[in-house]
Amino acid sequence: MIKSLDLQDLRKKLVTAVDTRVRIITAGLGLNELRAVMRGDPPTEKPNPRYKVHTTSFLFHIRPRYYEKGSTIFTHTFRLGFFTALFFFVELFTGLILMIYYTPSPDQAYNSILNLLSNVPYGKLLRDIHRLGAEAMVIFTVLHMLRTYLTGSYKKDRSFTWLTGLVLLLVTLVLSFSGYLLPWDQLAYWAVTIGTSMVEAAPLIGEQANLIARGAPDIGANGLLRFYLLHVVLLPLAAILVISVHYYKVSREHGISLPAKFEEGDVPPEVKKQAKQRIDYIPDLLTHEVFLTALGLFIVITVTAFMNYSAPLEHIANPQVTPLDTKAPWYFWWLQGMLKLGDKTLMGIIIPTILGGLLVAIPYIDRNPHRSLHKRPLAVAIGLLTVLVLVALSYMGLPQYGIKHTAAQRIMQDLAPQEGVGPLRAVPFDQLQTGVYEVSGEVPRDLCPNLDFGCPDLTAVFREFSDGVVYAATHTELESYERLPDAQAAMVIEDWQQDLKKVTLRINWTDADTGKTQKLENQYFLHRERERN
Amino acid sequence: MSRINIEITLGALLVLFTSIFIVIYGFKEPQRMQEFELHQEAQAIEVGADLFNNNCVGCHGTQGEGVPGLAPALNDRYFFDQRIKDLGWSSSLEDYIVATVSSGRVVSTRPEYVGGGAPAMPAWSEQYGGPLRVDQVRSIAAFIMNWEPTAPDRGAATPMAGPPVGTDITVELPEGNPTNGEALATSQGCTGCHVLTDTGPAWAASANELGIGDRAAQRFTQADYTGSATTPEQYLLESIVAPGEYIVPGFETVLMPATYGQSLTAQDAADIIAYMLTIK
Repeated sequence: MIKSLDLQDLRKKLVTAVDTRVRIITAGLGLNELRAVMRGDPPTEKPNPRYKVHTTSFLFHIRPRYYEKGSTIFTHTFRLGFFTALFFFVELFTGLILMIYYTPSPDQAYNSILNLLSNVPYGKLLRDIHRLGAEAMVIFTVLHMLRTYLTGSYKKDRSFTWLTGLVLLLVTLVLSFSGYLLPWDQLAYWAVTIGTSMVEAAPLIGEQANLIARGAPDIGANGLLRFYLLHVVLLPLAAILVISVHYYKVSREHGISLPAKFEEGDVPPEVKKQAKQRIDYIPDLLTHEVFLTALGLFIVITVTAFMNYSAPLEHIANPQVTPLDTKAPWYFWWLQGMLKLGDKTLMGIIIPTILGGLLVAIPYIDRNPHRSLHKRPLAVAIGLLTVLVLVALSYMGLPQYGIKHTAAQRIMQDLAPQEGVGPLRAVPFDQLQTGVYEVSGEVPRDLCPNLDFGCPDLTAVFREFSDGVVYAATHTELESYERLPDAQAAMVIEDWQQDLKKVTLRINWTDADTGKTQKLENQYFLHRERERN
Repeated sequence: MSRINIEITLGALLVLFTSIFIVIYGFKEPQRMQEFELHQEAQAIEVGADLFNNNCVGCHGTQGEGVPGLAPALNDRYFFDQRIKDLGWSSSLEDYIVATVSSGRVVSTRPEYVGGGAPAMPAWSEQYGGPLRVDQVRSIAAFIMNWEPTAPDRGAATPMAGPPVGTDITVELPEGNPTNGEALATSQGCTGCHVLTDTGPAWAASANELGIGDRAAQRFTQADYTGSATTPEQYLLESIVAPGEYIVPGFETVLMPATYGQSLTAQDAADIIAYMLTIK
């Protein structure tokens, strides 16, 4: 036995055995070939084994065999579609883990978030990534669509891909929005109450549709469960299905569009030919995808872990208290802006539906065969105009725009917002010196001269309070609701308990219209260990 | 180096950095979780202070000092050191507070306060038909527990200076002193329910009501009067010691405790009535 042992032979046999196993796992690439792939060398065997992978492996079967060189230019696509998909998978992964800690019931939901944040290592990171990923997915989806529109890539045989893309835009928005409710905080509750109340405005079916969405006239246990199932089952399934169709069209049917200049531009034939050169999936596109994935994850982790990005969490949902500044998620601000312009049914349902219909119809309305920017000025102008209008509408959707709060309310809300921290709650505990501070027009340089360290933050807050009151009291040209004639205002700080102070803000004034005396008094309790940033 | 080499190298480096970041982040996790819990506790106390201010001060006093004859002090050494031992409560004081606030009290355990068979503390948790959620009840408990380090010893209730006045309204009362009566009316917790507004306590004259002195002179002569008073003095005494005899229309749901006949002396009652009659 020993005699017949030939080391050379054994080594060869071993290599062959390993090579066979590797070929089975990689669906066709041997050891040498793998090495060549990693080094960026040309194929080692003929026929090219790298193409075989695409027929034998399911996962590679749905990937492109190649893209044309011109279409892979970075400034043509900016990899927007890729990043949208990447963030979708980030959401799937983090979402699955978050589901472990979440209970979809109004009694438990908020507590399960608190538990996630206080008891689960990496719990906050997971939640932050999930939230950031959702925002990023919306951003990249919209930018991807804009890019496709501007490069005219929705034309001809890509019109169905454009349609699936629009379905994905809708799915992404609803996915993001349905996830909004799950923490069951004030932000969630009121944003979704506003959102679903828009459904109610739909003609004929509105009331029923709203009932189906909320599960009851108001959002409660039923509504939460419905949004939860929508968020974790129905919409992800729909997204996976439609993403597959969308991606398959691009990867296996028509590829990424070439930049217009190579198709219809005035460029020499050899440049056109070069642009049509094939870039193989293995190894070029694959390594590029792996690199982009690493880059994307690096950025997400850096932003969430070290740049103070935090998913917001307000007080627990309270159906009895509507916060002063209620707003939809930012990607629906334009809709909120439209609602301020007119009727709920018209602005909230009919016009958005028409807009959606127009987007679907674009490939059929736009009969211009050209794709290059300067050969379709009308389409480009309309596109850019739409973007500008959306931005303007979004601005109008902000709670600061067009909603009248009395001056006293505004001053207090700015100093100590109902949700979040605000300047008053950020004042360090030791600077909250008890006393009665009356607004007299003059603000001392330091409110507490007896303290060695002074109280610069408290003084700044008082100055803001004083300035706000004095401004509204002395500027007679303001609208009547913005004025505080004969204002008398004070800030009172009391010791309330150990490590607890009570701050009272009070403004008395004479109403400019009725001449009656008005009074607004708010009390805030501030604990030493409270969150101050 | 080809583009592939660069991307593989850079990608590997990025993965390495990402992993290192995650590990570094992990080291700070215990501290972060601890801080978060601290912030949560602080927030519970703040929320509890607000709720206490809106719901509890009427009977338990703005600083939890209690209102004699109405509700016991909470900001009190006895409450923190001895209360649950006296009751034989086996769990923690915080749980005792949560339980009491949630379900209320059917019968007072301390007859010197509201009770004598009547419901004492109402139920506050929505589980028992009250207005507050479970987390809000817990916040109130957190706020009350925060008095523990500083709670003063308020001692036992001061003994009464004479025998109680009782519930017989025909009894001969001594001469009343209005000044002393005013002090009693504002210190015995009356204003907890007979709310103090900008124009004064509820017994003062307002835009649509006479002062209590004139009200008393009229009420017992009205046709719907169901009590047995024959003078304004008797009417006021009846309202204090036997408030169920006649209830002014509109106040059927807010019941005054029927215990003052036991907790006021004849002199106290006379003083309060003398004070009330001065308010026209």
